[in-house]
Amino acid sequence: MIKRIEINYRGIFQKSLAKRIGGDIVIIATRMGQVGFSNGRYSDSPERNGIPCKYFAFVSPDLSEEELEAECGAKLDIDEANVSVVLDDTLVKGVEPWGWHGIRPINEKVVEGGYLLVVSRKGHDELLRFIGKKPYPYHLAILEGDASFAGLWVYKDDLTHERVLGAIAALDPAIISIEAVEEYLRARTQQEHRAGAARQAYESVRERIKVVTPEQGVDWPYEVPALPRWNEFQEGIVVPAVPRGFALGPRGQSRNPMFKRGTTKTYRPVIRFDLCTKCTLCWQECPDECFDPTPDGLFDVNYEYCTGCGKCAEVCPVHECIVMVDELRFEDDRSPWELWRRDPDGYIAWAEAKKGTERVTYPPVTGTGVAVAEGQTVPRGKITPVRRPKYERQEVRS
Amino acid sequence: MTSTLVRQPDVAPAIYEREDLLTGCQAVAQGVRLADVDVIAAYPIRPYTEVMDAISKIIADGELDAEYIIADSEHSQFEIVKHASAVGARAFAGSSGTGWMYGMEALVVTATDRLPVLFLVGNRALDDPGAFGVEHNDALAVRDFGWLLCWVESPQEALEHVLIGYRVAEDRRVRMPMALAMDGAFLTHSQHMTRVPSREAVRRFLPPYDLGERRLHPDNPISIAPQVNEDWVMELRRQNWEAARRARAVIKEAYQEFNAIFGPRYPTPYFTEYMTEDAEVALLGLGTVGAPGRTAVRRLRAQGHKVGYVGLRWFRPFPTVELRECLGRFKAVGVIDRDFAHGSPDDGGILLHEVRSCLYPVRERPALLNFITGLGGRDISIGDCVQMLERTERAAAGEIPDGHVTWIGVRE
Repeated sequence: MIKRIEINYRGIFQKSLAKRIGGDIVIIATRMGQVGFSNGRYSDSPERNGIPCKYFAFVSPDLSEEELEAECGAKLDIDEANVSVVLDDTLVKGVEPWGWHGIRPINEKVVEGGYLLVVSRKGHDELLRFIGKKPYPYHLAILEGDASFAGLWVYKDDLTHERVLGAIAALDPAIISIEAVEEYLRARTQQEHRAGAARQAYESVRERIKVVTPEQGVDWPYEVPALPRWNEFQEGIVVPAVPRGFALGPRGQSRNPMFKRGTTKTYRPVIRFDLCTKCTLCWQECPDECFDPTPDGLFDVNYEYCTGCGKCAEVCPVHECIVMVDELRFEDDRSPWELWRRDPDGYIAWAEAKKGTERVTYPPVTGTGVAVAEGQTVPRGKITPVRRPKYERQEVRS
Repeated sequence: MTSTLVRQPDVAPAIYEREDLLTGCQAVAQGVRLADVDVIAAYPIRPYTEVMDAISKIIADGELDAEYIIADSEHSQFEIVKHASAVGARAFAGSSGTGWMYGMEALVVTATDRLPVLFLVGNRALDDPGAFGVEHNDALAVRDFGWLLCWVESPQEALEHVLIGYRVAEDRRVRMPMALAMDGAFLTHSQHMTRVPSREAVRRFLPPYDLGERRLHPDNPISIAPQVNEDWVMELRRQNWEAARRARAVIKEAYQEFNAIFGPRYPTPYFTEYMTEDAEVALLGLGTVGAPGRTAVRRLRAQGHKVGYVGLRWFRPFPTVELRECLGRFKAVGVIDRDFAHGSPDDGGILLHEVRSCLYPVRERPALLNFITGLGGRDISIGDCVQMLERTERAAAGEIPDGHVTWIGVRE
């Protein structure tokens, strides 16, 4: 018997966390008398901010390590997952780690009766609004918490690591038992609160497991793409460019349809077109060229290609004009400019509702804007920058 | 049977513009002029240096309109011509010994990107010790990456193989880089009377370079060699394998066409047989060892020995079928390696392993002897070749075991 655990995480931000969880599953399973090993999906190139990546752990109570390795090791991808962990709930919108494969459902590998474990503050129904249907029942379990984001070589010691281990023990004690998790954490750290965090997660997740039936979720017909045979594409490693195209308006610029990268984002920029001064900075500075100039001089954003880097919000000189908002508040990638054109007041109300009033606002970079305090929304209307006083040329006396 | 060194006096004079005393390098430079090469990148290293000197003089004399770029190293040199080739320029570069190895990364990608640049490799011993003389390990280093690799024996052949090389390399069925290898000093710096073809004749033989839909140009926007995932590499290797296979037929066609225009210079494309019709044993060698090799054959023939010589020209693609048929007729073959492959099977040379692998399916295989000789520019004399032939005869008689490796010419 083999148990396969998949850990979905965000490149760079959660790389060390995912590896640590995968590694500890193996160590704990080994302490329980099983064999196991752990590896990552090498192709993911997790040294890219936010890119959806996978880390794996494989354990078996009865196979030799060599047989387990032969079944699960030295492969590009996992065959199936008994438990699929999601360390950032915005990943439930699907993952597109590299080109040609399209956006793959987060539960693609979850077996019948298996578990999708999501670290989230959202509820089951909220998450199922984004998760594709499976032809068989499986479980959706929620571990309450925020996405634990850290840097490239570090991880944030916020107990997510211990809590996920406890949660996995709650879902399938045959992989790792909660006793073994606690014992291991105590032995390794001599810190009782780490074992306590695992136990607490174990208890709380057991209350938050729901069976997902084939009717639940969104329609998401995903097929693994058929890649061309060796004699069906250009020789010399030559790839034809995306055909040139530019027109004013939403999606007016040609982009690569084979690799959109939109699933990289956890936040998306929400734009208040009424505040825009048409300075062009968002359009110029976007590293992924997601902004489309519109006939009225504004800049629409194509969310399919937006990686959520936040640079537009950072360079926008107008306070509150571009604000980064939690990706899970949005169901689709429609053009915000079109919504704005159709119904400006409705759009502002919608945008402010999405932004919410609990946000942290960015300080203005240049010019002046309307400052909003917590609990307020920015009123409609143009903001006239206040000119700085000009420096008068002064005579320099010799 | 015909030696390529024998002149062909019956060729119509219009085919050639003049006869000149040229070194191997100067002959290559004349080939570059006649091929109307667009971009040349240069970085000096002996013995290759002479070709860059010769080409720069040709350009300075107004005989060739080309970009001539002095690079800061071989790596840049090879990258420059790779990129030039990608935008549709016929490109030329070259190097020797350790310089060739220094640019190796660029050499590999030129092959994987399937760009038909022609390179001269003036064979030189690899450092250390720093040495100038010929050894074949430098050019042989690219043998597995998808290169065309060919040795010539004379300035005449060198000039002609610049033309043949471009024609084969640029053929749309092939599009692979071509290394034209020449024994350093012994050929690169040796002056021989050489007939220089006329531009008109060359124009008939060598079509313009056209990379077609693969040409990098603002009107044809493409990406070349982006990073790929594990789900693409095998298919790309498979494509390049196919090109390497197709090259064999393209080479044959090229020689047929060459002979049709310039007279019957090359009866066989891949290698040249000398006095092999009734031979019982033969030597097989690459490059300038052909002259002493054939002379030794003549001397032993005069004493009644049934010996012959096979001069291998194309190492990549390896002429598997033809060489199998040729060498399969003999009782024993002495393989001359001007290279080393320490720790390889039987500690033989690279050519031995290729030949042995080629002959393995032959039911009645000849015994194979291997001679490691001429390293670092050491002479290979007629006497050495006589000795090698005699040893090969002894192997045919069963007196020396099959697969025996002997170093010839080392102080012992």
